[in-house]
Amino acid sequence: MVENERLIELKGISKEFDGVTVLDNINLYVRKKEFVTLLGPSGCGKTTTLRIIGGFETPSSGQLLFEGKDIAHLPPYKRQVNTVFQKYALFPHLNVFDNIAFGLKLKKMPKDEIAKKVDAMLELVNLRGYGKRHVDALSGGQQQRVAIARALVNEPQVLLLDEPLGALDLKLRKEMQLELKNMQQRLGITFLYVTHDQEEALTMSDTVVVMHDGHIQQIGDPKRIYDEPVNAFVADFIGESNILHGTMIRDELVSFADHDFPCVDFGFGENVPVDVVIRPEDIMIVGEDVGQMVGTITSVLFKGVHYEMMIDTGAFTFKVHSTSMQPQGSRVGLNIVPFNIHIMKPMEDAAHV
Amino acid sequence: MKKFLKRFYLGIILVFLYIPIVVMIVQSFNAGKSRAKWEGFSLRWYAELFQDSSILGALQVTLTVAVLAMIISTVLGTLAAIGIYSMKKRPQSLMMTMTNLPNTMPDIVTGISLMLLFIFTKVERGYLTMLLAHVTFDTPYVILSVMPKLKQMNKHTYEAALDLGATPGYALTHVLIPECKQGIITGAMLAFTLSLDDFTISYFTTSPLVQNLSTLIYSAARKGIKPSMNALSALMFLCLLVLLLIVNRRTAEKN
Amino acid sequence: MYNMTLPWWAWALMGIGLAFFAAMVTISIRRNRGIKRSLFAAPYALWMLLFTILPVILIAYYAFTDTNGAFTLDNFRNFWDSNYTKNQLYASLGPEAAQYMVRGTVNVDTLVYSLWMAFLCTAISLLIGYPAALFMADRHMKMGSTIVVLFIIPMWMNFLLRTIAWMSLLEDQGLINTLLRAMGFEGVQLMYNSGAVLLGMVYNYLPFMVFPIYTSLSKLDPRLGEAAQDLGCNDWHTFTRVTAPLSLPGVISGITMVFMPSVTTFFIPRVLGGGNTMMFGDLIESKFLTEGNWNVGSALSLIMMVLILISLSILRKADPKGEGGGIV
Repeated sequence: MVENERLIELKGISKEFDGVTVLDNINLYVRKKEFVTLLGPSGCGKTTTLRIIGGFETPSSGQLLFEGKDIAHLPPYKRQVNTVFQKYALFPHLNVFDNIAFGLKLKKMPKDEIAKKVDAMLELVNLRGYGKRHVDALSGGQQQRVAIARALVNEPQVLLLDEPLGALDLKLRKEMQLELKNMQQRLGITFLYVTHDQEEALTMSDTVVVMHDGHIQQIGDPKRIYDEPVNAFVADFIGESNILHGTMIRDELVSFADHDFPCVDFGFGENVPVDVVIRPEDIMIVGEDVGQMVGTITSVLFKGVHYEMMIDTGAFTFKVHSTSMQPQGSRVGLNIVPFNIHIMKPMEDAAHV
Repeated sequence: MKKFLKRFYLGIILVFLYIPIVVMIVQSFNAGKSRAKWEGFSLRWYAELFQDSSILGALQVTLTVAVLAMIISTVLGTLAAIGIYSMKKRPQSLMMTMTNLPNTMPDIVTGISLMLLFIFTKVERGYLTMLLAHVTFDTPYVILSVMPKLKQMNKHTYEAALDLGATPGYALTHVLIPECKQGIITGAMLAFTLSLDDFTISYFTTSPLVQNLSTLIYSAARKGIKPSMNALSALMFLCLLVLLLIVNRRTAEKN
Repeated sequence: MYNMTLPWWAWALMGIGLAFFAAMVTISIRRNRGIKRSLFAAPYALWMLLFTILPVILIAYYAFTDTNGAFTLDNFRNFWDSNYTKNQLYASLGPEAAQYMVRGTVNVDTLVYSLWMAFLCTAISLLIGYPAALFMADRHMKMGSTIVVLFIIPMWMNFLLRTIAWMSLLEDQGLINTLLRAMGFEGVQLMYNSGAVLLGMVYNYLPFMVFPIYTSLSKLDPRLGEAAQDLGCNDWHTFTRVTAPLSLPGVISGITMVFMPSVTTFFIPRVLGGGNTMMFGDLIESKFLTEGNWNVGSALSLIMMVLILISLSILRKADPKGEGGGIV
């Protein structure tokens, strides 16, 4: 049963372009009806991964299983997946209706049935009455909806989305995020989504796959990725962080920024170098006399909900988020509870786990 | 396999395009005058070329007309492009229609209409009329190469120059013209080659006393071309090829 | 060295024009503000007026007048019936002579023949050129720009010489026949027929078909092809439903660029057709330079211009945005 749930599975997928490795031994599976996001900076291999699944690239090695069968060398038109392309790739010589009907016409579906399906799709993406419009005459958001409709009308098992909201402005992007998520839940289709926007990934996904330099860094649900990043890269990429080099003195005691701190991690060994990650909202500002560390506030920025302060302790400048403001130049104490100190192996090792 | 077939197809077309050129170059080294029989290798025609005053004269006409027409039409065309670019919509489309007109007019009609003009105004046909005709058909091509560059240009760069204290004249020479330099160069080269290769329009706008290479070849075509003409084209071809290689090397180095 | 004499009024006109332009530019630069840059187009506008518009008006003038300068439509009647003048004479001589009236069809026939030849040349160029452009634009071949240069280089050779070079291949004692005879075959008559003219035309104009199609194909977003495959197209369907329709602008500008010069060419039929094949450009040239009949010649030119304008506007309809990539 558990095996059956795996709709798509990548086993040891690698990809080289002209001798440069862009994907190295990717292992990943996607369950039915799951919303999976590939997240990472540009050049991390997320789009290549998607293109391999879509059939536009063939992997240099490894297996791509779809319902247990290897489809790595199947051409795109024989796969039960459809893609929403970056910048949409709508056909400029066809109107909205014909763009959406494109796949259905190839299946030789009767005309009235095509019309019915396309109209239903236009309804779904809130573009009723736009069928006759030319695609060039649509706004970015509308083009985006046509691209989604064009893919969804073929009732794919999996919808691949390659930075679909990248070209939209912030407000529209937020609206579309919600809409996409709703659509996915309503239609019960598996979504595989590529983005470099961590907030988008955390908002929409059931599972987030963080990628970097052709490797998968971490797979997990959004909360876990945010709260328990496995390494400094993930911590830095997801949300804001203070990342320091430190030394694990022994179990549950770590030293960084010239101070020793109790923590909850163990099992690293004694006197080993580690990376320490502390979220800005986890550092508490207290009186100068009661803090674990003492620092000077070097800058204060108002960020809407909270203030962002840079506090220099001499050994390190911490970024701190707090709802109460302290004047610039004042000296304050800083406290960190053990639970909020995240200890991880230094990057170089982590990448090859 | 597919790739091989595609290459093979392109190869056959290239052979088709190059056959006459190879024939011509081979003929230029033929010791005899026959077009079909090989009578041994010789540089005779190359030697004769430099004695042949009609060919050398025609070469001179061709090259000077091409250079002069290129210079005049580039200046005229660049100014016109900037002017048309800053016009309001109506006059702009009128000017562009006029610019596209020579493109849609067959060469023979352009040539004949200019011939009629020169005869009608009693201007004796010769070097100057040929030059005028060449500038006339070159200039629209310069405009059509410069115009897209102007349109691509960020409108605000010109305004930025004014904002930073440039006078409109300074902004023109230091911002606008450098911005479309590539288009100007393309236009100039296009003008040069078009004028170098022109036959029909030159044929109608010059007199038999002033011939360029094309009209000279035409007048000799029936009787048979002197092999030294082949020698000349082989030499010109070689020059252009070397020029191309140099340009290619330069751009390759830049990248 | 060369005769540079112009009538005095031409020099005067040029002088006044230059002075006027210089004055306008100086004034607007001095003032620094509100510079009228559109003035820069003035010399060009004047030039075009003098050397493009005025000459075309002259052609129209000659086409609608007789040798005395009086208005007439006889020149066009002459196009329809090349014996028109003679027939008029017969008609005036009474019924006896009228039986000798025969319509001369040479002008119309020549036009039809030219259009047919140009059509064939365009069709063949398209048939040969489209696959070539398609293969050149193929990203997997990684050869695009090199092969474009290879297509351009032959055009640097004077096109008359290139055409004449075909003569030495095709003629009776030419290379092909010599080869055939050496192999024991009979010689073949390759020159001085429509086939030779057609070959010469395709040879000269093929690149003008390939370049615009290549340009429009290589501008195509490769993701469109991927999107088509994603939505269920195999290679053939991708071509017929996406690539081909999207390269239409290039095809149209290719057709224009081949059709127009091939209707009007007069050099190629002269050399390769050897006078057996009269084309319309040929006819016009001989009207002006051999017969000295400017009025009929102008009428024929006007007819050709109108025909070309009509066919261009039909083609433009098929490419309303005018996106066809030219050679420029």
